[in-house]
Amino acid sequence: MKDSCLYLVAVFESVSQVMKAEKILKSKKISYKIIPVPRNISTDCGVCIRFLPKDRKQILDEFINQVEIAEVHELVK
Amino acid sequence: MSELINAKGLNCPQPVILTKKAIETYSDIIVLVDNDTAVENIRRLASSNGCTVEVTEENGVFSIHLLKQANVIEGSDTGNNLSCDQADVKAAAGPTVIVFTSTAMGTGDEELGVLLMKSFIHTLLDIKPLPEFMIFYNAGVKLTVKDSDVIDDLKALEDKGVKILVCGTCVNFFKLTGQIGAGNVSNMYDIAGTLSRSGRTIKP
Repeated sequence: MKDSCLYLVAVFESVSQVMKAEKILKSKKISYKIIPVPRNISTDCGVCIRFLPKDRKQILDEFINQVEIAEVHELVK
Repeated sequence: MSELINAKGLNCPQPVILTKKAIETYSDIIVLVDNDTAVENIRRLASSNGCTVEVTEENGVFSIHLLKQANVIEGSDTGNNLSCDQADVKAAAGPTVIVFTSTAMGTGDEELGVLLMKSFIHTLLDIKPLPEFMIFYNAGVKLTVKDSDVIDDLKALEDKGVKILVCGTCVNFFKLTGQIGAGNVSNMYDIAGTLSRSGRTIKP
């Protein structure tokens, strides 16, 4: 299941957390994409971060004590 | 057990009418449709009737699962206004043009604006119909450089047929010559002409 999905998305509690997370990913040169929160996850006007499943562990490690991820979802498209 | 409505091959307002009728009787409904317009129209109908909506797609067929929530007062949508938004209807004759005058979407907070702009440009890939033109000028040209965060989205939009015009004067001013990664570096004749002929212009 995990391997078959193309992307994962990290959803955050606030937009400022997204910005913080983006800065970390950029500085670590981890590829990511800012996308609107998929409709099946939430209908709020929110943005989240899309990333590759292979980077999951590294990303979660980088975020520890720095930003709080609310949830990680598989991106169904 | 869900009530199944097969509305494949039907055009607006047929799928909406069938769904509206079903909502009156059933609280758990699955509607099958085969176009985006029907999905959006049913989504609106459902939310105004206090239903939760879940859409899944497989091979071009959308399965819309509606669940009527208990204790919800019926919305104002009494069925008399079964609106049909036809995605392919143009506001005016002439192409749709999106202009990008800065790297931010809206004003108020620059950092937030930049974040919104990334989200906006990525979302354009899912919007139908696509704009015919995207024009970048002033600081907007920075979005089109090779190492821009949105360059892959811009290239994908270009592949889908969107024409991207990048203001040459601005590229020169910001010293970005040779660094543009999508679209054509253009001039004021093309930009002013395209804007003048546009059916509608959108400025995020």
